[in-house]
Amino acid sequence: MKRYIAKRVGFAAISLVLLSVTIFLLVRLTGDPTVLLVEPGASQADLEAVRKQFGLDRPLWVQYGHFVSSLVRGDLGHSFYYRTPVLELYLSRLPSSLLLASAAMAFSLLIGIPTGIIAAVRVNQWWDSAGKVFALLGLSLPSFWVGLLLILFFSVYLGWLPSSGSGTAAHLLMPAFALGWYFAAAHMRLTRSSMLDVLGSEYVKLARLKGLPEALVIGKHAFKNALIPVLTLAGINLVIMVNVAVVVETVFAWPGIGRLLYEGIAFRDFPIVQATVILNGAMVVIVSLLVDILYAVIDPRIRLAR
Amino acid sequence: MKPVRSTALALTLALVLTVLAGVLPARPAAAAGPEGQATWAVHITLAPTWFDPAETSGIITPFMVLYAMHDALVKPMPGKPMAPSLAESWTQSKDGLVYEFVLRKNVRFHNGDVMTAEDVKFSFERYRGASAALLQGKVARVEVLDPHRIRFTLKRPWPDFLAFYATPATGAAWIVPKKYVEQVGEDGFKKAPVGAGPYKFVSFKPGVELVLEAHEQYWRKIPTLKTLVFRTIPDESTRLAALKRGEVDVAYSITGPLAEEAKRSPGLALVPTYFTFTTWLVFTDQWDPKSPWHDRRVRLAANLAIDRAGINQAVYLGLSKLAHSFIPQGMEYFWAPPAYAFDPRGAKRLLAEAGYPNGFESGDLSGDTIYGVAIGEPVANYLQQVGIRLRLRPMERVAFFKEYGEKKLRGVIFSGSGAPGNAPIRLEQYAITGGRYAYGAYPDVDGLYTEQANEMNPRVRQQILHKMQQLIHERAMFGPVIEPAFLNGVGPRLEVHGLGLVANHAYSAPYEDLRLKKP
Repeated sequence: MKRYIAKRVGFAAISLVLLSVTIFLLVRLTGDPTVLLVEPGASQADLEAVRKQFGLDRPLWVQYGHFVSSLVRGDLGHSFYYRTPVLELYLSRLPSSLLLASAAMAFSLLIGIPTGIIAAVRVNQWWDSAGKVFALLGLSLPSFWVGLLLILFFSVYLGWLPSSGSGTAAHLLMPAFALGWYFAAAHMRLTRSSMLDVLGSEYVKLARLKGLPEALVIGKHAFKNALIPVLTLAGINLVIMVNVAVVVETVFAWPGIGRLLYEGIAFRDFPIVQATVILNGAMVVIVSLLVDILYAVIDPRIRLAR
Repeated sequence: MKPVRSTALALTLALVLTVLAGVLPARPAAAAGPEGQATWAVHITLAPTWFDPAETSGIITPFMVLYAMHDALVKPMPGKPMAPSLAESWTQSKDGLVYEFVLRKNVRFHNGDVMTAEDVKFSFERYRGASAALLQGKVARVEVLDPHRIRFTLKRPWPDFLAFYATPATGAAWIVPKKYVEQVGEDGFKKAPVGAGPYKFVSFKPGVELVLEAHEQYWRKIPTLKTLVFRTIPDESTRLAALKRGEVDVAYSITGPLAEEAKRSPGLALVPTYFTFTTWLVFTDQWDPKSPWHDRRVRLAANLAIDRAGINQAVYLGLSKLAHSFIPQGMEYFWAPPAYAFDPRGAKRLLAEAGYPNGFESGDLSGDTIYGVAIGEPVANYLQQVGIRLRLRPMERVAFFKEYGEKKLRGVIFSGSGAPGNAPIRLEQYAITGGRYAYGAYPDVDGLYTEQANEMNPRVRQQILHKMQQLIHERAMFGPVIEPAFLNGVGPRLEVHGLGLVANHAYSAPYEDLRLKKP
């Protein structure tokens, strides 16, 4: 078991190192950020001064060495644009992202699981078809478009909800819906297929033969077991939600990590892009590592097979 | 009788007072102190570097905040491109070497410190933003004559000293408190900036909002509004939604169909502002004798082929200014050229005369993905219609300016600049040999540029600069297109929104003049 865990941790560390190299190089392929930090008509001297100020005049390998040595010390650099430590910025945005992701997750589960169960129980009936349409829409409608429609309807026409910003529960509703919409459809699909598997299993048939009430069969025997893969996916999706909320956070001016990444990309703020990608990547790697370890704990076949 | 008389007297008095109360003007609102709040939906993420004038990077955007939190010795104000502000007056020596500023007395920073000439000297020397090396390199010394007088001595006469020092071309004349900066350090200053402007810093949440509060000791006047909030809303549709709901009072940068929507929405107004921003075509191959662009008639044909008014109407609801020069109309030393007519037939005739009756393939029309598409695409279509066949090549902004500056682009470039300054500064960048974006130049124009740079007589200098622009126009060196308006939505609460009050400034200003409508 120890060997297995050490191996997984080693793989996780290698993933993070590769991620840091990749993002360091890729972000520099996008062009010279100084062009965006000064007016297009700026003189060459001004451009050179800005390049020097941010250390961009140094050779790439020197920049990478500085980046890695700072990273090891827990220093993710200073933002070109905000001129503040990137870690400080990241941590200031993290609570908003987690709040949005949690609300979106709650919404997606509240919608996705019951509709999935109903679709499975009423398979090939009206409810199932409606569920399929819902899943199709959820997976295919882009979140920015859903967001704009929500703003138009609930803010502009009805005047019920604030159009953007953060601070109150009312501010959270629309972004959570726009972000959770896609995941609700994904959870609905998985719940449906998982429930169909379980409902066709021998022990459920036996429970029915024993004459147990249908609600009990579904609620107690089938649902509990069908929920395991859904919750596993939900756990990973929560991390993904933090990472993919770029568009939703931009549309709703929600001050999360997604918008920080968007700003970093828009302004070629290398330290912000590097830090956000690495920290978000670390989040995914750590959650995957934990899932791997938990699976190994639960199922000895996994650790023995590897 | 007595009680009756006194009752009648009291009634008469009450009646007179009632009538007077109705007739006499109310006490000015300012006497009650600043009150109320105005909120802006800002299209761009606010950066703490904008809280520090020393970091001004040569773009107009930081002045959105600087006009609120800070003040300058001299700055553009309504009706005056160089208005005395923290300096009451200034003089220039006859030889053009010495500039002396007399400072306003009893000006207080937000922390209560009194502004002195030491702060002015400190701010100038501390300045490290756009053109810092150029500006500081021209100044031999800065002397504090007394707490309210400061002298700048130049190494050589430089007619553009004030163009750089006293306009948004730099932030060197925007004054910060020396004692406070030294006390809190550079990072501390950005976190809790202190200035001498009409509004003081309250809070800043990066990427979310900036909150400012009225500085009641502001020298010019007590601001009417108590609180200013600048909220970052990156998405244009969301900005308009926030404006419609009354969540914000001004929404910056509303374009295209959304601008039309703002225009027809009851209670909202669409207000254009203008700054020194213009767009133009660069015919990079005009110095190549083998290229069709070498022929002036071809360049002139391109200019006649473009329906500038049509583009303006389609993209900017007719609110932009048509450009006939690559120097913006609001810039000092601008020379107004004769307008180019929209004359496709004339364009075709000129092309035929130049030996291209069927037009010609002209390669790429390179531009950035914003203006290079919004304006560049219709321009390419108009050129196509007379036979100048171009492939639109939209490039990501960074890549575009990199290749443009490195002189790697060929064919025709869709160029644009909003850099502040004056005509000679713009000419030097784009039309003079060695200019950062100059793909070629003409020796006589180069010669005149050198001549004007040493000319201290403003009238003579203007003549030279006008002559340069005239030569550029006669040669059809560029294809000016449009001076894009900056379109903004304004809600119903503000009586004075400040947009367009200061010439060549895109944003609301001066903030102390803003006022809410009376309920």
